[in-house]
Amino acid sequence: MGDNVSVNDGIFKKILHPLKKRFDDFRQLEPRDKLKRISALILDNAMLIIIVTAIIVIAILRPRFLSVASVINIISLTAARLPIALGIGGAIVLTGTDISAGRAVGLTACISASLLQSSGYLGKMFPNLSPLPPILVLLIVMLVGAVIGLINGFFVAKFKLHPFIVTLSTQLILFGAVLLYLQIGDNGGQTLSGLDRSYIDFVTAPLFKISGIAVPRYILFALIITALMWVIWNKTVFGKNMFAVGSNEAAATVSGVNVFLTIIGVFVLAGALYGVTGFIEGARIASSASYTGQGYESDAIAACVIGGVSFVGGTGKISGIVIGVLLLQIIFVGLNFLSVDQNMLYIIKGLIILLACAVDMRKYLKKR
Amino acid sequence: MKKALSIILLVAICLSSTLAITGCRRGEDECAVLYYTYSDTYISSVRAEMDRLLDKGGIAHHNYDAGGNQTTQTEQVDTAITKGASILIVNVVDTGSDDAARTILEKAKQASVPLIFFNRSVSENIIKEYDRCVFVGTDYEEAGRIQGRMIGEYVRDNYSKLDINGDGKISYVLFKGQQGNMEAEARTKYSVEICNSVLAEAGLSPIVFYDSQNRDKYLVDQDGTWSNAAANNYMKTILSGHSESNKNMVELVIANNDEMALGALAALEEVGYNKSGSRHIPVFGVDASEAARAKINSGAMTGTVKQDSAGMAEAIAHIADNMINGRDALSGIDEDMKVGEARVNIPYSAYTGEDE
Repeated sequence: MGDNVSVNDGIFKKILHPLKKRFDDFRQLEPRDKLKRISALILDNAMLIIIVTAIIVIAILRPRFLSVASVINIISLTAARLPIALGIGGAIVLTGTDISAGRAVGLTACISASLLQSSGYLGKMFPNLSPLPPILVLLIVMLVGAVIGLINGFFVAKFKLHPFIVTLSTQLILFGAVLLYLQIGDNGGQTLSGLDRSYIDFVTAPLFKISGIAVPRYILFALIITALMWVIWNKTVFGKNMFAVGSNEAAATVSGVNVFLTIIGVFVLAGALYGVTGFIEGARIASSASYTGQGYESDAIAACVIGGVSFVGGTGKISGIVIGVLLLQIIFVGLNFLSVDQNMLYIIKGLIILLACAVDMRKYLKKR
Repeated sequence: MKKALSIILLVAICLSSTLAITGCRRGEDECAVLYYTYSDTYISSVRAEMDRLLDKGGIAHHNYDAGGNQTTQTEQVDTAITKGASILIVNVVDTGSDDAARTILEKAKQASVPLIFFNRSVSENIIKEYDRCVFVGTDYEEAGRIQGRMIGEYVRDNYSKLDINGDGKISYVLFKGQQGNMEAEARTKYSVEICNSVLAEAGLSPIVFYDSQNRDKYLVDQDGTWSNAAANNYMKTILSGHSESNKNMVELVIANNDEMALGALAALEEVGYNKSGSRHIPVFGVDASEAARAKINSGAMTGTVKQDSAGMAEAIAHIADNMINGRDALSGIDEDMKVGEARVNIPYSAYTGEDE
């Protein structure tokens, strides 16, 4: 080694040495243990391996997968699903869940659409209402969402009911509310459309264009919300309390955390985010009906789990949720690019969620 | 425990990667076929036939399942276009308003990809907005009319037999598939209206809805999925309060589609009706699905309206081939089926089991 020792010393100590040590340890293992070690390494990083392999395979077979249009498409799809996932993420950190999220999105989408139908549109729900400023409607539906969250949170916090049961109930109540809402005026259960241009532009107008492909505004919404949520989760007392309650409610109570308000806060925040999702959905799809939002929670929950927000509670990162949502979209757009049979898509989706959960739990099993 | 888990995980990884790899058989420039849901029996028969025809014609294609959700479908359109589809064949989910179809049309127009809407109605104004757009469907009012005529004639010929409680009126129940769907609206309207006009011609009193409190005069699948289960649940509930001994038995069942007709029929069979040797309550549907035809041939169900799935698939595959190869979209299509420049209607017919 000679003179090089002093130069390489720093690097060697920091990076190479631990690696070499691990490699030496590995070499000394029995062949059976070696196999075990390798499979453990693969399993711990299973999701990442699958994703990277998938992207490489798809890009080789279908170069268009990485074209500007396709990448923007994937990012847009991710942006539309982010707010709801960020909301549900909080509920999962509390070892709970929220299955009313999809219906909350449906209700808020219908409310947004009904308040923003263009005047003079035949079959307008409120014929005498001229379209409100979109930003005001956004605030209204966030408030509606927050009230839904307040109800969920109250029952969870006050009566110690499992969030699954509470949100199962509110899911049904909300669906009924959507159906009733769609009956208002002469609407008669019809799809809400004929939206005012101001609303559609507010949500979907191009921010800017990359080689002729428009980047819709709601990507900006998603960015702002993600940043806000990062601050809330990581830099506020409320965020710290949320993780404390999630990892050990009794310990949190003892150390003076207001568990009641923390739980309610998490659900209210989640509800407001469902309102945002509903607002975006209303304009993005341009027609809202009773089925709008149905089943959204399952994708959002799956994304959170894939992104490492554990059902064990108390762990999870905003970056993980973003990655989870993105990865789900990459997989599904990718599978379509590969012309995988649609029947298989459901099976693959199920397998991925199962796999992600199993990998996640494996880490905890190891700790014990 | 840990070992078992590891094995399961490894198998899952291998399985999903093989799935991903075996999936890639076809190239770009394929024809993208977007179905509103894989769960619809009639649409599945169109799909099976279309797969066969496109394969036979050597046209690469990829199917998408929207699962009854317009959001999913609109996103699938984006994906199909970015993937480089040579043509979009769309069975639109939301027919309650023009906007969903318009959004899809605008996306296709912007990417200058030809577009065929099929089966579920898209209004003519929308089709007109893009010169490379064609609609293959049915005259959506025709199914309801044919059903109404078939029911009217049956009730006229069997009036006294059908009037179980002898009050001189035939009480009916009607199952509507979906709120706000143009086909459902038309079938709901015309099945009763035309039936009554046939009865009026014969000097008979019109059929009456079994529940006078219900001002809609129909029971709708709240999920909008035209499902067997919805009609079955309704019918079971009805039969718990309506019976021959109460003298308020429902005497006629009309459904917007065969799935709902079969759901209602199953509920009737459960309490002993419509079996050989027992009393029959006539049940009418629309679609002529395999299951419904079997029930009609065995005598349990009375009639349905045949929507020609093979004919529809054939027309779509033919038009797609024309559009891909730059021929006039409707060249070679039967003149009787053409309506204007951009619409093809596949005819309906009544099916009561006699012809097969």
